[in-house]
Amino acid sequence: MESRLLHVNLSTGELRIEQLSHAIFERWIGGSGINNWIMWEHFLKHDVNCDPRSPDNIFVFGVGPLAGTGSGSGIKGRITFKSPCYGIFGDSAAGGKFPYMVRFAGFDHIAVTGKAPRPVYLYLCDGQAEIRDASHLWGKNTAETHAALNAELGDYPSHVHTLTISQAGENQVGIAAVVSDASRIHARGGGGCVMGSKNLKAIAVQGSGGVRVANPKGMLEWSRGFRASIDKNEAIYGFKRRGTLGAVEMYQHIGSHFWRNNQGNMFRGDEIRSDNWVKKYHKYSEVCSADCFIACDGRYKIDGTESEKAKKYVGETFRRPEYLTTGSAAGALDIRDWAEVAHWGKITNDYGIDNQDLSCSISFVMELHQHGLLSERDIAELFDRPQSLEWGNMEDIEALIEDIVFRRNLFGELFNDGPYWGALRYSQRTGRNFMKYSIYGKGGASFTEEMRPFPTWMNNMAVASRGADHLKGIGLIEKFQRRDLSKRYFGRLEAADLSTPVLKGACTAVVENQVALLNSYGVCLFHWMLDPAGYAPEEYYGRAFAEVTGIDRSPEELMRDGERICNLEKAFNSRLGLRREHDTICERWMFEPTTEGMYPGKVAADMFDTVLDEYYEWRGWDKASGLQTASRLESLGLGDVAEVLAADGALVRA
Amino acid sequence: MITVHAQYQSRFREITSVERESFELEQPLVVELAARLTGKYGPQMQALLMDEDGQNLNTRGTLYLNSRGERVYLEDPLQDGDTIYFMVGIAGG
Repeated sequence: MESRLLHVNLSTGELRIEQLSHAIFERWIGGSGINNWIMWEHFLKHDVNCDPRSPDNIFVFGVGPLAGTGSGSGIKGRITFKSPCYGIFGDSAAGGKFPYMVRFAGFDHIAVTGKAPRPVYLYLCDGQAEIRDASHLWGKNTAETHAALNAELGDYPSHVHTLTISQAGENQVGIAAVVSDASRIHARGGGGCVMGSKNLKAIAVQGSGGVRVANPKGMLEWSRGFRASIDKNEAIYGFKRRGTLGAVEMYQHIGSHFWRNNQGNMFRGDEIRSDNWVKKYHKYSEVCSADCFIACDGRYKIDGTESEKAKKYVGETFRRPEYLTTGSAAGALDIRDWAEVAHWGKITNDYGIDNQDLSCSISFVMELHQHGLLSERDIAELFDRPQSLEWGNMEDIEALIEDIVFRRNLFGELFNDGPYWGALRYSQRTGRNFMKYSIYGKGGASFTEEMRPFPTWMNNMAVASRGADHLKGIGLIEKFQRRDLSKRYFGRLEAADLSTPVLKGACTAVVENQVALLNSYGVCLFHWMLDPAGYAPEEYYGRAFAEVTGIDRSPEELMRDGERICNLEKAFNSRLGLRREHDTICERWMFEPTTEGMYPGKVAADMFDTVLDEYYEWRGWDKASGLQTASRLESLGLGDVAEVLAADGALVRA
Repeated sequence: MITVHAQYQSRFREITSVERESFELEQPLVVELAARLTGKYGPQMQALLMDEDGQNLNTRGTLYLNSRGERVYLEDPLQDGDTIYFMVGIAGG
């Protein structure tokens, strides 16, 4: 396996290419696994407790070994950094064409350190790298920046593909995102803030190279088989037209939405259904990523006939909203018109900001207002203007978005790191405790779905390395009640039974290991979730990994690889002082019962500690402190990591 | 004889062209409901609802819940008045 890592020191202007050894793939697989290792090594030489907005932080981009191979699945790029909004491990994935173009330009990973003295962008083309002036791009949003770079660089030797930040990143807003090709967002954790803190406006790539594959014939056979399994899966045809919007009705039936800051769990009104989207807005689908066989993406163009409110957005065109775009808009903020939901998706993308953190921050202040907890004086102090805080009012919401993007008033300043820190800072400032209205896990904003009926998901929110998150250990065995998979992995059925805490901690750990593998291969989680080829990533996608890299592992060995990757993320957070008490969730989830849908009366507290204990047991970590143990790390070949943790007082000798 | 209701979402609704319908079943079992659906809607429903050998409900990207939020399997019993939700199973996004 050949692989190249580009080191970029923006303080000195030094560019250095490192050939990554085959051994690194043996240990870390690729993608997120190698990104994590690059960051870990960086912070052996730099202060891990540094301000994430300082030059000492690192910004890593990486692709998995399947990217650009024609596998039909290896489409995700990943950014990794110390999170400025949560202060812990941070990473985020996005698909599109940028990831494979990085490989065609001759690189697999990019590690950016230091801080440029002025705004710059990084340009990669056919094995060469340059740091270029970006003064003319500063102040532009992500769409404008992408367009300007395309105009500047032309179409030779290939189309230009970009990673960009907007004004939010420039202003070092903690929840600022990084946007790929002006449409695909690395949303979580504040990667855009890290780029902004380094004066790095963009990365632009062009390439005409290819990707070496260890066994081209085997890879082609795998790819054909994968294609055939997708083509005969009827469920995928509906997914192509709706994308993740297909979840809207399912969640409405279950009661799994996140309505008005999760005060409820069902949407109101009749408009926000995927059928209505398909009827009114679905214009055409496109291949969402160059190397994706499913192609769930679509575009809309508003002509003004769709609804009264749509008239305001005539001519607007962008990607179809994803489920969580809809969950944040129609759920958290109670927007009830599709045109406005779509517009919310577009402006949060153009402003390059995480719409989960953003919606949870805005819905927090809206709920305070709903309960009469904000006086006129409080509102004047927060916003420097009269401000209505009406649920679902798009004009209000747009103003609040810009408050945060431009950090232009107290609200924008307090909430630039998301709803947890915003609520805490506002509580401290006013001497009133508002934390019960903040929805978070491990200090991170919730993703806008109802979690309380699902103990594995609830545990994900507490233990995910990057803060409240479903994509580190997406608990499908439990949520979809897959008895077959529970039996397969645990020899028993309880992992698929929502009524018991038994096997929920174990299920969290096993699925985290699997997702770590998928993220390191670079496989889209929707490929796995739609299950065209069998659930087990350690088996099916493990074959593709073997054909590409020549590293032929048993499923058991690959599961250990996934566990090793998870343990490195955990170790990073342990170095920062995180312990069991940080693996926690917000008061609403813990104690306030659900009231709607198929699962009313659910609170997390009923099972939370039991599930967390079992999770630590399954992981081989110390239950009292939440810390890793020397014996488990050594058994995973992570003795070097254990030594670092021991020196930091963050290891249990057992 | 019992009456059960079928509620369709996404690809299921595209195939059936209705959102909801009712069936009277001789045997109160999911297997009879599945047979009625594949008989009524043909090969596309067969491919969506059943696995390749036709012996079990398809689990790949699909989710079937009863009114109590329990996933149903082919061998499971049904109660009079139950609604079974036929959905494409995805999460997040």
